[in-house]
Amino acid sequence: MSKIISDVDKFESESPSSVVTAINTAVQTVVRQRFEASGQNWKDFVFGESVETITEEDFRAVEQMLIDAGHRYDWSAAISPQERPDAYKPAVGTSEDDLDTFCFEDPDAPVGEPDGDGLELRGVGDNVVSYSEDTVGIARYVRSTNRVLKWLSEGVPENTIAVIDDSGGTLTAPILERFKGVICAGGTVRSHLGILTREYGIPCLMNSKVNGIMEGDSVRMESTARAKNTEDYQSGREVTANIWRVHTS
Amino acid sequence: MRPDYAQLLETNHLLQTNGDQTYWLCVTRTVQESKLFPVPAYMLLSYLNAFYRYPGVLKKIETHMSAEELGDRARTMGSKAHATSMWGLPCFYLLGREWQINMGLIRPEDAAEDLIYIVDFWKRFQLSWRRNSGHITASDGGHRTQILPERQIQVFHADMYDCESGEPLHEAAQAFAASAAQYAFLVACESRISMHQHGPYHLGENREMLVRDFVDLAECDLPWLDGVAENVPYTNLTMPMATEGVHFNIIDDWGSFAAEPEFKGEHITGVGLYTSDPLSDGYEPVGMGSKEELTRTFQDLDERLKDAMARLWKRVAGWTRDQMLDAGAITYYAIIKDLAHIAGCYDPDDWIKIDRRAERFRPLLNDEYSRDMLGDICVGSSPSHQMYEYLMMRHSNLPQRIYSPLPYSMLVDDDYAPTVGDVQPGVTYLDEKLDRYRTTKGTFGIEEYNRRVRESQPKTHEDRFRFLCEPSIKYRYDGATADELYKLHQQNSRNLRGRGAGLRRADIEALRG
Repeated sequence: MSKIISDVDKFESESPSSVVTAINTAVQTVVRQRFEASGQNWKDFVFGESVETITEEDFRAVEQMLIDAGHRYDWSAAISPQERPDAYKPAVGTSEDDLDTFCFEDPDAPVGEPDGDGLELRGVGDNVVSYSEDTVGIARYVRSTNRVLKWLSEGVPENTIAVIDDSGGTLTAPILERFKGVICAGGTVRSHLGILTREYGIPCLMNSKVNGIMEGDSVRMESTARAKNTEDYQSGREVTANIWRVHTS
Repeated sequence: MRPDYAQLLETNHLLQTNGDQTYWLCVTRTVQESKLFPVPAYMLLSYLNAFYRYPGVLKKIETHMSAEELGDRARTMGSKAHATSMWGLPCFYLLGREWQINMGLIRPEDAAEDLIYIVDFWKRFQLSWRRNSGHITASDGGHRTQILPERQIQVFHADMYDCESGEPLHEAAQAFAASAAQYAFLVACESRISMHQHGPYHLGENREMLVRDFVDLAECDLPWLDGVAENVPYTNLTMPMATEGVHFNIIDDWGSFAAEPEFKGEHITGVGLYTSDPLSDGYEPVGMGSKEELTRTFQDLDERLKDAMARLWKRVAGWTRDQMLDAGAITYYAIIKDLAHIAGCYDPDDWIKIDRRAERFRPLLNDEYSRDMLGDICVGSSPSHQMYEYLMMRHSNLPQRIYSPLPYSMLVDDDYAPTVGDVQPGVTYLDEKLDRYRTTKGTFGIEEYNRRVRESQPKTHEDRFRFLCEPSIKYRYDGATADELYKLHQQNSRNLRGRGAGLRRADIEALRG
């Protein structure tokens, strides 16, 4: 069998992602087969016959291979499991009904018992901008276009601290300005959501590790904490702000 | 033409420069995801489109205008030919190349002549665009992008209106900037490439100026703005912003900024507003007649952008995944499209279609594979990145290189495919672009827009002015040509019109009263 570039590597390694390894290995098999069948030199094959003989159908078959083996892909864009529910893991926590029982459950989130002031630690995040006061409001998850559309037409409920796992700025684009605060389970302070909340002057914690905050909980963000900066990320320095559930007596 | 050793040496140096920078930019931000757009998937598709199309479209552009002249022209406008575009130019191409190496589809030496051309074009543009600082990237300049000449900075400095927290102008400018940023993210399918910052420029004492560009806001090249952005009156807007008590210590190659202490709205002490494009011959003031007029202009634009944003969001929310993929991939791939506008040879088929060779890969692009593959190729986790164990990469100290160098052995064995060839037909799942492009001189079809650009030679780009650089001005500011050049830049200035080349920063400050 003919060799291709990936067959010889002195410092061989694998992707940390098993999905990447599986798919790339399967693509390499297709490439090897088509190259062998061409009978050509590689330099003639690579931008010549390969463009015609390595096809969309080949790539479709490679991607389907993992599904047939029982794998279900992680999803990030809501449209993906919506269009191909059989290919993706279930989109839990995106419907209004799910939110009665759904919450983020990050195992790395620091948690504690309520203190004398009724503050129960439920996580930490990277503060985008340091403000003069902490931010208190009602936690409400925003994970679907349906919820955004609903609040776009009905208005965002008062005192909403949006709990989001999307560090982008587009899902919440038409309603972001109306949030009292944002707790985002992804990204960094330089992510798009971090940039936008800074522009709007909305307290925001990015890269948040939270556990057990439910829809409708009263929460407090330590938006007075020092903001995390680029040097902190580059040096791996932990600079965090606390997130508490607030118990009222 | 067969490359020589010197070309390979330089090419590999430029690959390493870009690779180090890519790593730093990615680890200080993390991979971007969105619940709305399949971002990693569209990024990967765009990288393939760049790999197959950039060589052809750039060569076409250079039949009309050289990379160096494009750099000179781009320096005088706030368009999508900026720092982020110029990170994307080599890096989107290189990321598409790296991904294909890891799938076994190409070797590092394949398309060698394309690669050499791409990074050479990039180098010539960058050195020209950044000639006033002499750096090739923001990173090279200590994370600064100080591109403007003194004469343009003076106009921004002289004409901006002072404002402080609580004043109507301050509030209106902040509201506009927030809406413009958010709209820009949506226009650009979650990417940051419709906005850009450059600077900082020192205004004296503890004051600095940051220049903020918002681009592709009106009905322009992006088909999804047809019918939703018809009330947005400017395609490009530039907002010079004076600040006090804050130092912008990072302006990176993605046009983003960081500051010490952290930047807040209360640091803003002055603002201005301009528009520009390939037909404008520099920056044209917008609402700059009085402080009140500028306040009203910001408020009006804020309303228009919010309206367009809500309509665009609803349009996007109704798209299929393939439409989202196309829009995102086109946004990314076409990050350098304004080079074609500046050269007067923009063809929508070159820029808003997915080349059939890239289109083949669409079925691979599920969310999980795309996320993990993108992460791998951006931060050094792919097999192709791994080198001998003694190596210590800049920023990480790991034995890796983000972009595979061209092997020098190709000079001996001649065993490489030189090029992917010309641009091939493309496809799109989106509605066809309407032939309607808003410019500073009116709304035109693309043929008319290209013709007008080709026929207009900005006065400031005549050779006698174009090469009158900052070092030349230092010793010739009292000459007639320098005076004429400064007056050209001052022709729309409220405070500097006709003042010429003799003013220094303190004079400008005094003139502002």
